[in-house]
Amino acid sequence: MLKILIPTLLLIPTSWLAKAKWLWPTTLLHSFIITLFSLAWLKNTTETNWSTLNPYMATDPLSSPLLTLTCCLLPLMILASQNHLAQDPLVRQRIYITLLVTLQLSLIMAFAATELTMFYVMFETSLIPTLILITRWGNQMERLNAGTYFLFYTLASSLPLLITLLAFQNKTGTLSLLIIQLLGPIPISPYVNIIWWTTSLLAFLVKMPLYGVHLWLPKAHVEAPIAGSMILAAVLLKLGGYGMMRLMLILSPLAKELCYPFIILALWGVLMTSSICLGQTDLKSLIAYSSVSHMGLVAAAILIQTPWGLTGALILMIAHGLTSSALFCLANTNYERTHTRTMILTRGSQMILPLMATWWLITCLANLALPPLPNLMGELIIISALLGWSWWTIIFTGAGALITATYSLYMYLMTQRGPVPNHMISMNPSHSREHLLLTLHLLPLLLLVFKPTTIWGSAY
Amino acid sequence: MSAWRRLHVKVRRAHGLFTSRRVTEQYTWMYGPSTLGQNLSTGKPLRNDFFKELEAQLAAMRKKAADALPGSSWSPFDINPNLPPERADIVIIGGGVMGWSIAYWLKQKERVREGVKVIVVERDLTYSQASTVLSAGGIRQQFSLPENIHLSLASADFMRNINEHLGVLNEDPVDLQFNQSGYLFLASEEVAHIMEENYSTQRQVGAKVTLLSPTQLKEKFPWINTDGVALASYGLENEGWFDPWSLLNAFRRKAMSMGVIQCCGEVTDFKYTVSMMTSPGGDPVVYKRINSVKVQMPKGLEYQMVECAIVVNAAGAFSGKLAEMLGISSNPKDTIAGTPVPVEPRKRYIYVVHCPDGPGLDTPFLIDYSGMYFRREGLGGNYITGASPKEADEPDTSNLEVDHQFFEDSVWPRLAYRVPAFEKLKVTSAWAGFYDYNTFDQNGIIGDHPVINNMYFATGFSGHGLQQSPAAGRAVAELILDGNFKTLDMRGLGFRRIMAQEPILERNIL
Repeated sequence: MLKILIPTLLLIPTSWLAKAKWLWPTTLLHSFIITLFSLAWLKNTTETNWSTLNPYMATDPLSSPLLTLTCCLLPLMILASQNHLAQDPLVRQRIYITLLVTLQLSLIMAFAATELTMFYVMFETSLIPTLILITRWGNQMERLNAGTYFLFYTLASSLPLLITLLAFQNKTGTLSLLIIQLLGPIPISPYVNIIWWTTSLLAFLVKMPLYGVHLWLPKAHVEAPIAGSMILAAVLLKLGGYGMMRLMLILSPLAKELCYPFIILALWGVLMTSSICLGQTDLKSLIAYSSVSHMGLVAAAILIQTPWGLTGALILMIAHGLTSSALFCLANTNYERTHTRTMILTRGSQMILPLMATWWLITCLANLALPPLPNLMGELIIISALLGWSWWTIIFTGAGALITATYSLYMYLMTQRGPVPNHMISMNPSHSREHLLLTLHLLPLLLLVFKPTTIWGSAY
Repeated sequence: MSAWRRLHVKVRRAHGLFTSRRVTEQYTWMYGPSTLGQNLSTGKPLRNDFFKELEAQLAAMRKKAADALPGSSWSPFDINPNLPPERADIVIIGGGVMGWSIAYWLKQKERVREGVKVIVVERDLTYSQASTVLSAGGIRQQFSLPENIHLSLASADFMRNINEHLGVLNEDPVDLQFNQSGYLFLASEEVAHIMEENYSTQRQVGAKVTLLSPTQLKEKFPWINTDGVALASYGLENEGWFDPWSLLNAFRRKAMSMGVIQCCGEVTDFKYTVSMMTSPGGDPVVYKRINSVKVQMPKGLEYQMVECAIVVNAAGAFSGKLAEMLGISSNPKDTIAGTPVPVEPRKRYIYVVHCPDGPGLDTPFLIDYSGMYFRREGLGGNYITGASPKEADEPDTSNLEVDHQFFEDSVWPRLAYRVPAFEKLKVTSAWAGFYDYNTFDQNGIIGDHPVINNMYFATGFSGHGLQQSPAAGRAVAELILDGNFKTLDMRGLGFRRIMAQEPILERNIL
């Protein structure tokens, strides 16, 4: 664990001491090396599932794919931000990289935490660099509104979580995940247990996001700069899912009745947000709502607490993380050339940038859950698990899958096909950096087709 | 959207349908007794309209609540609320009728609400020097170029159904005061054959024009002196004059109700990227792409860089100067990149005269072969008249001062010769306005620039821009959003003819 944390921590002095010419290549290279080392976490050697143990941090098959995803994302964020930060002064570039690294650190420690207290502290800590990224480097005036929504939705919902954790520590004497998993049902008085259940999970449901409390997400994703959008879509949403999976261990007998309204909300959200995607004019907004839609499926799957549900949730989280981040990178390549996110003004790019159209196609196909990609595997397992829970969910999930396919194809056809507007005829050709960025997103996705057991998690 | 409006109007007009009586009654009690169907009264309503005042009342309530609560409304970010937003999709430079027409059509065609973010930048909201409001306001289809005829015909159709297009719910209907009195062109012996050719072109395209011999002319309009007139061409429908200010305001009100942002400021600079490429033939080609537009606040030093995807140059007489800011003149004159946008302001005078014994109410907009023109203005015996000066004595364009000597020397003699009743008249007022004069071929330029990738032009109409504004706006909106012209093919009016030095000259321009 330390062999990842200390290099990541030392990336901060690297970004401050590197010479201007070597700032970006150096940080990129070193974060790549850290990613390569983090792949070692994926091999699970113990029977108890917990490996690389130290008193405060450990990895298990649930957290290791998320940890690797987090470490994988840092070089990709640095790669994506290189162009639009080129005209900023040097100090501001260094601060940007420092923020990304701080975010990375807090996320690694959050996923690797064994104590729920540390998880909570790191969960809150990850908000600060993200907020600074959105409000300082975002593009429009609305970013202040977006930052406020983002911050206060999460803060307001996570304060009850803090109280719940403290009460739990008081009652059972421990908050260590290793011990919690062995505890039996906790005796709590009959009406307080509903509050207990809700407050434990509210923070994560807001983070997921669940349909009714999802309002912060389209704002934050659209107004954030590219690195902010990438990390938000790929990892921060999964913090919510991960937290839910961990905390539901302690809530077990209550979950059977109390999860009902939230599952319905999540499934309804899948349908609603997919439909909203069909009428979006702003490309980033479309991708943000598609994130809400996929995460609705994940939320529903975690809430039913079956082994297949948890497996499917984890697979979909990883696959969606890579796909959504890739989509944001593609939207950014479009934005850097035409300075507009409106889809109606940036059409027909297949004629102008054909190789980028290939990446668009693969990513849109991944988004609509094309076999044999892990997106489909995750969705299929989740749909089957939900079907086992109740036959009626097939209406929501089936219609949701249909509309997902529709808007993914719509996004592809709108941006790539169609008449080429006159103002796009001479655009800058694709940089090899952009091709590298997208390859590094899609290659892990394709590799996961061959060994999905790496991201199956501990429930299988 | 107009089909829905038409249906709506039909529902309101039909008897026996479930809403008809109540709706007409609702309107009669507010506006006074009126005929069934659309109410065109522009007077104030007789009673209070709840919904119209609702907005104002809610705003007043909010303000009252904010004043009552503690704290101040200071925000660190609103330095100057008049500044335009930091980014927009399309920036239209020039808030005349052409600019607002383009803004309206862009919003009309955007397919989903808030599809594109459009800003119109206008430096003078009093429009004191704008060509739109200083125009004589005529509309005609008597051109020799089919594109011009199409544009005017489509615009006339638009203006006849103006409330279908530009009517805003719960606001007063638009009244353009479109007098369809027609245009009357007089031709001498030498140019009669041109008039005949033009007539056949016009009829072919669909304009309703007729040719009159001098005797027919004298019969129809006894006040004309037909000496020297060999042939006359008279427009029977869709020709006449209207109020340009009403059209401008109608476009503006409708576009703003659809979400276009108006900004009062002057564009002083562009920030653009230059890419040097090589054409397949080996010649270097320099492409420019506008990244952002610098909008300076009037009477101040504050400015805002508006980051944008597309810029539309609808600056009228000042379009040439605007395009110069993109560094066109720094390139050699004979290259594509160095060809300037050939639009410059030319001053024209209009004189209002009062003649109680003048021609009657059916006076058309008469245009003489000597370059003089006049039309009726209002119902009190007033007429508007003017003439085009010769190329050599173009007036000075640094101000809008009127030269009354020009009237005495050039206009009155020709006017009195053609209409003897005008020998006794009194000049009551006069004004001057600029033509956005296209020095190349005096026809509009609609299209994108070959070298500046994301700048579109809708300028250089040289005196017939106002009448072509609805159709030209639609053409530019189609070019931007659909990639190509859909309803009218305006490729002939693009930049290509300027690059290839092939002028398309009108044969009867005023």
